Amino acid sequence: MANHVLLTSEEHRTLRIDPSRGADFGDAVMSCLIVPTEFRRVQNDYPILFRLTPQRDRFQALAMFGFEPGENLFLDGTRWDARYRPLALEIQPFLIGHPATPGGDKQIHLDLDSPRVATGGEGVRVFDDVGRPTPYLETVAEQLGELDLGWQATDGFFAALNRHELLEPLTLEITLDDGTTNRLVGYHGIAEERLQQLDAAALGELQAEGHLMPVFMAVASLSNVAELIARKSRREPARG
Amino acid sequence: MDTAITKIVIVGGGTAGWLAACRIAAAAHPAAADPITVTLVESPDVPTIGVGEGTWPTMRATLERIGIGEAEFLLSCDASFKHGSRFRGWANGAPGDVYFHPFTPPVEADPRTLVAAWQAEAAGEPFADAVTPQPHVARQCLAPRQRAMPDFAGALNYGYHLDAGKLAALLQRHATEKLGVRHLRDHVIGSDRADDGTITAVRTRHNGAVAGDLFLDCSGHAALLVGDVPFIDRSDVLFNDRALAVQVPVAPDSPIAAQTDATAHAAGWIWDIGLPTRRGVGCVYSSAHMSDDEALATLAAYLGTPEPIAPRRLRFRSGHRAQFWTGNCLAIGLSAGFLEPLEASAIVTVELSLDALLDDWPTRATMPLTASRFNTLFRYRWDRIVEFLKLHYVLSRREGRYWRDHRDPASIPPRLAELLALWQHRPPLRTDLPMVDEMFPAASYHYILYGMGASPPATGPLREGALPSLAPVAQRTRSMVAALPPIRAYLEACRAARQPIAMEQFS
Repeated sequence: MANHVLLTSEEHRTLRIDPSRGADFGDAVMSCLIVPTEFRRVQNDYPILFRLTPQRDRFQALAMFGFEPGENLFLDGTRWDARYRPLALEIQPFLIGHPATPGGDKQIHLDLDSPRVATGGEGVRVFDDVGRPTPYLETVAEQLGELDLGWQATDGFFAALNRHELLEPLTLEITLDDGTTNRLVGYHGIAEERLQQLDAAALGELQAEGHLMPVFMAVASLSNVAELIARKSRREPARG
Repeated sequence: MDTAITKIVIVGGGTAGWLAACRIAAAAHPAAADPITVTLVESPDVPTIGVGEGTWPTMRATLERIGIGEAEFLLSCDASFKHGSRFRGWANGAPGDVYFHPFTPPVEADPRTLVAAWQAEAAGEPFADAVTPQPHVARQCLAPRQRAMPDFAGALNYGYHLDAGKLAALLQRHATEKLGVRHLRDHVIGSDRADDGTITAVRTRHNGAVAGDLFLDCSGHAALLVGDVPFIDRSDVLFNDRALAVQVPVAPDSPIAAQTDATAHAAGWIWDIGLPTRRGVGCVYSSAHMSDDEALATLAAYLGTPEPIAPRRLRFRSGHRAQFWTGNCLAIGLSAGFLEPLEASAIVTVELSLDALLDDWPTRATMPLTASRFNTLFRYRWDRIVEFLKLHYVLSRREGRYWRDHRDPASIPPRLAELLALWQHRPPLRTDLPMVDEMFPAASYHYILYGMGASPPATGPLREGALPSLAPVAQRTRSMVAALPPIRAYLEACRAARQPIAMEQFS
């Protein structure tokens, strides 16, 4: 279970984080939550799909790494074969902490139970000997800030998609080289026909709120599905 | 008809002999029509001298070519990482007199603009600290690499500290078990020579004559095959001729020093090399300037231990052969020569000799030419090492007869004296060290010159290029200090990672 604490330079002066990739570090996942502000970087490597939360009360955006739970086709042992990794993965084991007093600054929290918290003396320091943040923590803090802004913008993004009926259920039939078929169900994608039919006023509204680019990035990202299938086909024979 | 050189006989089984056996056997083409065979003859009861426990960065390429993995090497040889050397008390002996000679060169720039940038941006900081992250990383006892990196790659250039006896044992196992080297434990009692002086075989006490095409004399000071080649004494330049060596245990969880410390004293200096399980400490001195008892007291004072110490006593003479390769016999290691251990030039000279041999493998017909070229190249190299070592002494402002004698112009090689005159007015340039593979490039001279407190040259009448920025050095220092593990933690993790494999083998 998660064990979250506030990150402080006094408590965590010698803390080291293991930046390795691998299943042992929780990287064997088929998808990761993403925010619209990073769609542009995500679509270089991964398909972007949408899904209702388990409570079915709102949508989430996902970068897809595989076709079934636990399958990450970008993870090869300790190597992650892509140019970009979503923010929500990169910031682990850190989290955005909400301020003790309303209106106060947000804080950085740390999941002490994460396998990324290094115990053997290897890994990257978070603070230097005198308690200044290291370049690594500076990067994480930037990423946490971007992620926080991204979450805040997410509700508005999906509200706009709903308003213009731009989400539609999407079923992906995956046929591998060996002829076997897999099916991805329960996901949504951008309704491209509806998108093409939007009038200038609607497009202007989406553009003004900053939603237009992420919408098109999500459309473009679906070309990565073929690459994902190719990755799975390459991997399947090895399992034989 | 010209014949290939394929039967290699190595006399002597120390670091030099086994390095030679491994390098040659690993480079041999197994499917050659007339494949190379390597035989190493080692006297069963001659103890090997533990020369130099510091290597240069060259050792990484050597191990890679031989086919030994880095973690296996580190654990087998009780080895650790070396970022370079740290000189204490050399400039004037005052408190705070310390500087680094790191293995990583400064940020890429014309030396004139680099020195000017140091003066403009960081005049209060030691030269090495301003131009490379390495001294900062070394002071914190951090490894130059992370385990996830490919073997022998690093964030910084690095060498090793190691137990030379264990290295020879590892190389021996590798040579005999993996590379097919034939190992004869026998005494060499003589050699058979043809009329032209070439060796046809070495005679052994129990195994008779061992014939070969090329003989490597790696027999150390005994110089069994090259003993009659004239020896050029360099002790008129480098006075040190004795050493007292001790080993000091270290606490299991203490930080492991990441550089060789060289601390100057009244008539020499003290080496201090940290390994995971012990420190090797030794007092090098000139017997003409210091008695053995004084040296013992100097070493005891350095160690700060009240108990009496019983060091190993070593005698040596700085110098080398007039030729290293005569006929079909090449001297490698102490048989070729020895210079005092400052800057740890012993093992690297062995490695470079083997590089040169393998780069230009002779045939019987070309051997005289190859030998002559080898002799020219290595005479150049020994001369450059002598000069570079001397540089450390002539720049000193320490008082006392020993240090004054070192500054006596009569003891300074003429080429070094010329360069020192030039360097009053400009930094060392690449053209001062014109060979492709200089042992000490201009950057090394910068580190010593400005580390020792030589004044940076004033701006001349010529226009200079734009100054490089030193800000990236500080930023890279911060990143490296954060991301590199302590050496102790790195080695413990290597050990832990090896454990399951060892258990599988026995199950």
